[in-house]
Amino acid sequence: MWCNRLYLTREEEAMYNGEYGEATALAMKIIVKVGEVMGAEKLVKVKHVHVSGVSYYNIREPGLLFLKKIVEEGAIARTYTTVNPSSIDLCGCSGLFSRELVNGQYMINRVLEKMGVKPVYTCVPYLVRTPSPGEHLAWGESNAIAMANSFYGAFTNREGGPLTIASAITGRTYYSGLHLIDNRVVEAIITPPKIVDEALASLLGLYIGEYIDVKPMIVDAWKWSFLSIKEFLASTAASGSHALVVLDKITPPNTYRVSSSLEKISIDEKELRLYKERVSEAIDFKGYVLAYIGCPHTSYLELKELIDYILSHKRVRDNVDLLITIPLHYTSLLSDEIKYLVDKGVRVAGGVCPIVSLLNKKPDLVITNSGKALFYLRKLHGFRVAIASAKDIVREVMLN
Amino acid sequence: MRVFRVEEIVSGECSGEAIVVDRKISFYGEVDPEKGVVRGEDIVLKNKVLVLRGTRGSTVGSYILYALKYYGVAPKCIIAGEVEPILVIGCIIADIPLFKVLDYRSFIEYLRVVKNPYISYSSSEKTVVVYGEERIDNSN
Repeated sequence: MWCNRLYLTREEEAMYNGEYGEATALAMKIIVKVGEVMGAEKLVKVKHVHVSGVSYYNIREPGLLFLKKIVEEGAIARTYTTVNPSSIDLCGCSGLFSRELVNGQYMINRVLEKMGVKPVYTCVPYLVRTPSPGEHLAWGESNAIAMANSFYGAFTNREGGPLTIASAITGRTYYSGLHLIDNRVVEAIITPPKIVDEALASLLGLYIGEYIDVKPMIVDAWKWSFLSIKEFLASTAASGSHALVVLDKITPPNTYRVSSSLEKISIDEKELRLYKERVSEAIDFKGYVLAYIGCPHTSYLELKELIDYILSHKRVRDNVDLLITIPLHYTSLLSDEIKYLVDKGVRVAGGVCPIVSLLNKKPDLVITNSGKALFYLRKLHGFRVAIASAKDIVREVMLN
Repeated sequence: MRVFRVEEIVSGECSGEAIVVDRKISFYGEVDPEKGVVRGEDIVLKNKVLVLRGTRGSTVGSYILYALKYYGVAPKCIIAGEVEPILVIGCIIADIPLFKVLDYRSFIEYLRVVKNPYISYSSSEKTVVVYGEERIDNSN
């Protein structure tokens, strides 16, 4: 069936016409209308939906009201669906996050879980279910989108919260933008300086996000650690709207094309050093300092290495909190190790993101290894933020 | 009186007193969902035909449109120069009729020269008609 300018299969048509219930009809209408506006000719089935826009701190009563309504109308996830971090520490062990948001957030979580969403509450869905090259996804969460397209070679646009909900309910998204190979064309080739750690990768990402609009390819990216790639992509997606940055010898072949007229760009170490002076504060311990690792949430390996390194130190300095945010399911997976960290004075929080939440105490300075956290904690919360690698952070804030 | 062609994005009735916000706004942050006003400006949205250049910013904006309807302070309909997913989704879930005006520039210029413009949408013609007394001084 043609629905205005968009072709629907029989099943999609039945969803649209209300044969699968009101919630599905509404979800289908959302996807069809957005598809029309975005110039799609048809819809595409998605293997994995990642729902964003679930923090009570952000969506408050309006978002909760909508989610409640569609679940009451029978909304259920028809495809594999994961969900972004919440606004409260779901393992309840860090003590750094405001309790003010607890009731609202739990109501949102209850509604989402009733829908059949996997309660992972993490911004790294690619570590929960690995995307395959060429697979179609409907993901919210900018860092995850950049990883899905650039690292795994999957196909997803940058979707907003309500659209991901509609995709979860219908198992579909509109077929346009990055779902088409013709829109995945590299137009610039960037030669970066040697990337020694994830702090430098973050700065490079912020710089590219701020100054480069076209889809770039990054030379020598295969030499970087997984952590550096993750921080780099998250940063490009924060300061800019990048959703695909081709990584030399990493991004799977046949998931992108290269333009015949490539712009050549070279970024040297000096440029990044000057950029750092502009965006990052210097580290000092004059007031209350929050050291923050885990934006995007740590991977299992990253966390294990971090734990080993932290355990070789004595304890966290006075007037400093060292916060590590992790996917919710790691809190049970690594419960023993987390206990050791807590003994050293480290704050571990599960299923939460400080960018979309409220801290009990405003820090005088944040030190983080994440360009994304730096960008948003400055912009949205007005914090002073310094950047350093995770190892440097531990060295600075822990006593030996 | 002048007639402008529109594209119907979310169907429905659309006639009433016009209110113009000639810029891209972020509903999240810039609009108070309980009061139904554009923050910092005395723009009341309730039951008005809201004319917008477009929307920008956080996708939470869609939920703000839903809240405006829930609290009974939503505009009657929206006529925009540019439509993107935040606005489309917001209007669908809030059931606020949404139209894209094809020649936004001329539309906005005409609204400027009309005192207390009144807009009426014709679904058969796919047009909006702007009524109102034209100002004599049209020097700008």
